[in-house]
Amino acid sequence: MRAFSASVQEVFREAAARWVLIAYFALSSLFIVIFALGVNLDVVNGALAGARLFGQSVDVGGRSIEIDKLVLGFESGFSAFLYLVGTFLALFATAHLVPRLQEKGTIDLYLSRPVGRVPLLLSRYAGGLLLAAANLLYLIGSMWLIVVWKTRVFHPRFLLSGLVILFAVATLLAFAFLIGVITSSTGVSLMATYAVFFLSAILVARERIAAAVSTETAASIVKGLYWILPKTAEIGQATVALVAGKEAPARLADVHYLAVYGSTAAFGVAALALSAWLFSRKDF
Amino acid sequence: MIVAHEHSGGVFVSRGMDAPIRTDGLRKVYGSASRRITALDGVSLRVEAGEVFGLLGPNGAGKTTLVKVLLGLAHPTSGSASLRGLPVSDPECRRRVGYLPEGHRFPGYLTARQTLSVFGQMSGVDGATLRKRTPELLARVRLSDWADVRVKKFSKGMTQRLGLAAALVHEPEVLLLDEPTDGVDPVGRREIRDLLQEEAARGRSILLNSHLLSEIERTCGRVAVLRKGKIVAEGRIDELTSAGSRYRLVADGVDERVLAAMRETGASVARVNGHFDLTTRDLEQVNAVIDRLRAAGARLQELSPVRSSLEDVFVDLVKAGGETDPKEGVS
Repeated sequence: MRAFSASVQEVFREAAARWVLIAYFALSSLFIVIFALGVNLDVVNGALAGARLFGQSVDVGGRSIEIDKLVLGFESGFSAFLYLVGTFLALFATAHLVPRLQEKGTIDLYLSRPVGRVPLLLSRYAGGLLLAAANLLYLIGSMWLIVVWKTRVFHPRFLLSGLVILFAVATLLAFAFLIGVITSSTGVSLMATYAVFFLSAILVARERIAAAVSTETAASIVKGLYWILPKTAEIGQATVALVAGKEAPARLADVHYLAVYGSTAAFGVAALALSAWLFSRKDF
Repeated sequence: MIVAHEHSGGVFVSRGMDAPIRTDGLRKVYGSASRRITALDGVSLRVEAGEVFGLLGPNGAGKTTLVKVLLGLAHPTSGSASLRGLPVSDPECRRRVGYLPEGHRFPGYLTARQTLSVFGQMSGVDGATLRKRTPELLARVRLSDWADVRVKKFSKGMTQRLGLAAALVHEPEVLLLDEPTDGVDPVGRREIRDLLQEEAARGRSILLNSHLLSEIERTCGRVAVLRKGKIVAEGRIDELTSAGSRYRLVADGVDERVLAAMRETGASVARVNGHFDLTTRDLEQVNAVIDRLRAAGARLQELSPVRSSLEDVFVDLVKAGGETDPKEGVS
């Protein structure tokens, strides 16, 4: 356990020393500051009387807009943006963890200690996830506090969006680890993981793509890939739906989230298990 | 006792069943079915407690592979290896094992103190023990003044000394050192040699892998020479380099007739700069040569055994294996 915890601490120390942690939090802070300065709401008796968004006046048409609903709508929409930003930043900050570990002259130092290969890999994974979780907490928590400060409206569900984003990060990081173990390259790990992210988002339209391809086999591959890959688009929708709650649009409420979460989790577990297996068999 | 290993790789040494470092018929084959490279071919050796054991061999002989297999960095194809009585596949066997790899790269952002802390914790040492042990170790490797300086600012020799401290941080019973004096100045080398002798005196088993034959000669008690993945010789250095077959002979009145008489015994006799190099099979043959020399009327002035250097032994062994450049990697 001591070795596991030392390895997790090492992930943070390495991230700090290599400016990854600082850049990660600096970028997040930039989003927070832009948001804090860009959103100015004039709330009178629980209703929106006027608003300025990023310097532009918003015409509320003389209507009295219920601030609670407005904030909910804003937060649920913004959570989709945070899903994209949070996931990409997290992957960018952690994809190096396995390739760096496997570098000649470094891996020898770690594997010569009384720590198994699988626990060593998992400690790096846990460290990466904790790093992502800390940043998501900072990013989403700050956004939430700014909204509370500007509107006096409390919507704790917005905070829950962080859990869904972390779930997506966990899945994609497992895949990045798999590619990292195989190729020992941070660049390839990142490219492959982003490719999976976008490919699976495209596969939401699998029925239309399958109808457009020329052979039955190709159509089956398209549909099969959809179920194998993580459901990145649907996870984004799930983030919005979770924040919106009962106010979520019908198209989001109709998604079969159990299948989405289940198949995505299966992909992540399989990728992590495969990376652990390959890592434990590898000669250095 | 000098032990010459046959190519079959059989076990020739049996010095106790619980040697802290032990391999039996260890084999490691790299590559695919179409292109196989045998890095280790039936290596069997034992390193006892309190012993400094040197591993020699030209580049590509399998020295590093052997160390990697012992540390679980590479998986053996067949045979077995154990550290402290535990199979190398069990991470627990490395609980009391210190390793200094060749060309190691400690994270440059860590200070010397942090380096010992991180790798000490990874070996299961608690914080209080580390706080006590770290200054002692840094003093031992002359890095006390650099304790809080980042490793990236260290010279090669300082990094090497830090590596040694990191290998010792958890008070290991077994030390595996790959080129420990690489990049270290002469004073530092002597200090490292002294440190290794101290550790051996405390009962540590030390496996030293080095190209520096002079270092091995000064530090190790026993050595093994690896060639093409096989141990071709193993024994105490004084035995390997011992006299017994070569002599320096000085005599008066030795002409071609006397030389021919001496050679009739089967010994090899060569005239070299006013003396003769005599190579014999055994002591009986030496006496026979002297008898012939005297019988032919020549007068013996001096007969002294010639001790080979470890380098001579190494070069002879490697040449015997058909290496094109036996001195490759030897300094």
